[in-house]
Amino acid sequence: MSQYKIIFTGPVGAGKTTAIESISDSPTIKTDAAASDMTKSRKASTTVAMDYGVMNLAGGEKIHLYGTPGQERFDFMWDILTIGGIGLILLLDNTRADPFQDMRFFLDSFSKFIADTSVAIGVTQMDLSNKPTIEEYHIQLQGLGLKTPVFSVDARVKNDVSLLVQALLYSLDPGLEDDE
Amino acid sequence: MQDNQVKPLQAALHGMDGRTYKTMVIYFQGPCKGAAVVVEDIDAEVDIIDADFPAGKEALEKIREKNLPRPIIVLSREDAKLEGVLFVEKPIRLSAMLAAFTQARSVIESKGLTKPLPVATAEVAETSKGEQEVDSKKQRVDLEERKKTAKHKTAMQLDESGFSNFIGIIPGIDFEDREQVLNASYSPKNYFQGYVLSAVKVAKEKNRMLQLNSNWKPLLIFPHSHEVWLDADDKQLRAFASLEMNKATGTKLTITAVDPASSGAGANLERFQDMDAFVWKLAIWTSKGRYPKAIDINRPIFIKHWPNFTRSLITPHALRITALLINGPRTMLNISEALNVKPQYVFVFVSAAYALGLVGQAERKTDDLLVPPPPAPAKKDSKGLLNKILGKLRASK
Repeated sequence: MSQYKIIFTGPVGAGKTTAIESISDSPTIKTDAAASDMTKSRKASTTVAMDYGVMNLAGGEKIHLYGTPGQERFDFMWDILTIGGIGLILLLDNTRADPFQDMRFFLDSFSKFIADTSVAIGVTQMDLSNKPTIEEYHIQLQGLGLKTPVFSVDARVKNDVSLLVQALLYSLDPGLEDDE
Repeated sequence: MQDNQVKPLQAALHGMDGRTYKTMVIYFQGPCKGAAVVVEDIDAEVDIIDADFPAGKEALEKIREKNLPRPIIVLSREDAKLEGVLFVEKPIRLSAMLAAFTQARSVIESKGLTKPLPVATAEVAETSKGEQEVDSKKQRVDLEERKKTAKHKTAMQLDESGFSNFIGIIPGIDFEDREQVLNASYSPKNYFQGYVLSAVKVAKEKNRMLQLNSNWKPLLIFPHSHEVWLDADDKQLRAFASLEMNKATGTKLTITAVDPASSGAGANLERFQDMDAFVWKLAIWTSKGRYPKAIDINRPIFIKHWPNFTRSLITPHALRITALLINGPRTMLNISEALNVKPQYVFVFVSAAYALGLVGQAERKTDDLLVPPPPAPAKKDSKGLLNKILGKLRASK
C-alpha cells in the first residue's frame, strides 16, 4: 500500500507537533529533546527528528502526518520527508521577529514540493501578536506570485487544523466532492 | 486607585509589537494605577518608545527629528544618554516608571502643554439617502477596548441541511426557476449591513472609535483593534439583519462618538468580535442566498485571496468555491455549474466576500469572452484518497 503523507513544517515553536496531535487518531510519536541555544528562549523542548501521527481512513487506508524539525540544521531531512507527500502545511509563529522571513524561507526550501503539490499556511499566536495581519501575509504572497490559503490557527483546536488541511485538499482539486 | 483629581498622563506608544503594546496598556492601568493612559498619537502629551525594538529605534529618530515640545520617555536596556529624553531602564521597575511620569508631567506643565482628555468626534457620513447624521457633541473616549483580551471564536461550518435552518429563506424566490435566480439580488444599503459597512469605513478613514446608533442596539466600532462590540447574540443579529431598514425602523441611523456609559462595552467584554468576522456573518444573514445587486450576474467575478475561514461562518461549499475562483474569474452561475452546487450557496458566499472587499467584478473585457475550463481534477487514484481524507475531517469536526 502506498504511503500517503501530509507534511507539517515551520519554525521552532509554530505549533507543528500540537497541530498533528489535534487531528491524529493515534498518540503522536515525538522526538523532542531539551532545547538548547536559541531555541531555548522559545520553548523548553523541541523536535529534533520528526513528529508522526496518523489518520485512519475508511477502507483501512492511512494518511501519515509528519512534522519536520523546526531547526534549520535538520533541513537535510526535509527532502526525504516530502517523498510521497500530498501537500504541505506551513505553520508560522506570529510572535517571532520576522514571520515574513520565516515564510519566505520555508516556501523557498519546499518550493519544488509545493510546485508539485500545494501548500496551506496557518498563522499561530495571533492572540498574542496580531501583526502582521492575515491581509499582510496575502500581500507578501502576492509578491511571490502565490494565492495560498492563509488562516489564523490555534494549533490546539482541531477545527482550525482541520480547516487548514481541507483548504490544502481543495487547492489540489476544487472538484473534490465532500459530503455536505 | 488613581487619584481622581489627577488626570492620567496621555501617552502614545511607539515601536512596540502587539504583545508589548497590550502589556504596557495593562501595566499603566494595573501596577501604575492609572497614572497614564494610552491614547492616539495626536492626543498624546508624552511619547513612550521601546528603543530595543528595531521599529522603536526608527520611531525615536523620527520623533526627535520632529522636535515636538512634548517629552519623550525611552525604555531600553541601555541608556543612550540622549539629550532631552527621559530614560527608564529595562526590566522596568514601577518606581522608575512612575518617576518618569512625574518628570514628564513637570515638563508638560512647565511648557503649558496639558491637553484635554481625548475625544472622538465624527463628521456627517452621508449615505445616498442622506439618512446618517452625526452627533457633533464631543465625548470622552473610553479606552475599554484596550482592557479586554482578544476573543476568537473558531469557525462554524454549515452543511446544506443546516443552512436554511440557520440562515433562513427568502420568501418569493424559487431557486429552481432560472429567471428568478437571475433576479435573486439584494441591495445591502437597504439593510443594517449597508449602514455597518458605511460606519466601518468612516471609522477606518478617521481612525476613530465610533458608535452606530439605530432604534435597536448601538454597534461600537474599534478600528485600532479591528473589532466591533454589540450587545446582542447571533440569533438577535440574524433577525435584525434581515429587516429592511426603512420598513423596520422608520428612524434615522446615526454615527456618534463612542459613549461608554450608555453602551456598557466595558462591562461585557465577551461581546467584542473581530470586525471582519462580524461583517462576514452579517452579510450572510442579510443575503440569505441572494447576491449583491452591484454584481452583474452575467459577468465574471474574481477573488483577491482566501478568506480567513477559521474565524468565519462557513457556508456550504465555501472552500470549494474559493479554491475554484482563486484560479481565475468566473461568473457565479458558472461556479455553480462547475462545482454542481446550488446557486444560492455561491450567492451567499459571494455576498460575504464582497462585503469584505475580497470579491469584485472582473474588469477585463476578455474575461467576458473566455469560457473557463472545468477545474483541473486530481489524478484519479489520488482523488478517491483525498475525498476520504475530506470525509474524515468533516465527520470528526
